[in-house]
Amino acid sequence: MAFLSDNDRKEIREVFEQLHGDVKLVYFTERESPLFIPGQGCPTCKDTRMLLEEVKALSDKLNLEVHEFVADSELAREHGIERIPALVITSDTVKGKVRYFGMPSGYEFSVLLSSIVDASQETAGLAEESIVALSGISTDVHIQVFVTPT
Amino acid sequence: MAIQSPYVTADVIEVTEFPPLVERYAIRGVPKTVINNSVDFVGSAAEAQFIEHIQRAITPAGS
Repeated sequence: MAFLSDNDRKEIREVFEQLHGDVKLVYFTERESPLFIPGQGCPTCKDTRMLLEEVKALSDKLNLEVHEFVADSELAREHGIERIPALVITSDTVKGKVRYFGMPSGYEFSVLLSSIVDASQETAGLAEESIVALSGISTDVHIQVFVTPT
Repeated sequence: MAIQSPYVTADVIEVTEFPPLVERYAIRGVPKTVINNSVDFVGSAAEAQFIEHIQRAITPAGS
């Protein structure tokens, strides 16, 4: 069963008309197994992959790479991924790192869409003063925003 | 902001999927933002205010 309705698809396609450059979605998941062991593994990994595949299909500018967290541990380390499901949003214009941990559903799904759009733009939609302030930063800044599904 | 600066990593974490983080970061309300484990706030922040939080997080204590 699809996560996105026909109407969702239509609306997301309209949002993606704002995409300027290509955006790569690098997704880390577990190896999918037909066995389900309660309390073990990653309960949302498969659903998140399916959702991302549906999103990816809505624009030629989106690429989706799916990696197994354990098998591709070196790449996971490069991206600083310590838990799954994890999504890294990259593009030629993303200078830092933009990551999602957990399934982006409800309100967070719209945040994901706007992050994809921002990643495809040159300026990420920030005010000039913010860009100036950010360009003065020369130490690592790790922003973590904790959310719950809505 | 992570798009703009090579020094910035921005994570969104769906906390119900990672219960140990609730305790580690003392999450009582969402959205909760933690910057460099030194500055935190609950709720949203305007862009300029957010930049101030970042600057506070990277300023050494006492300076």
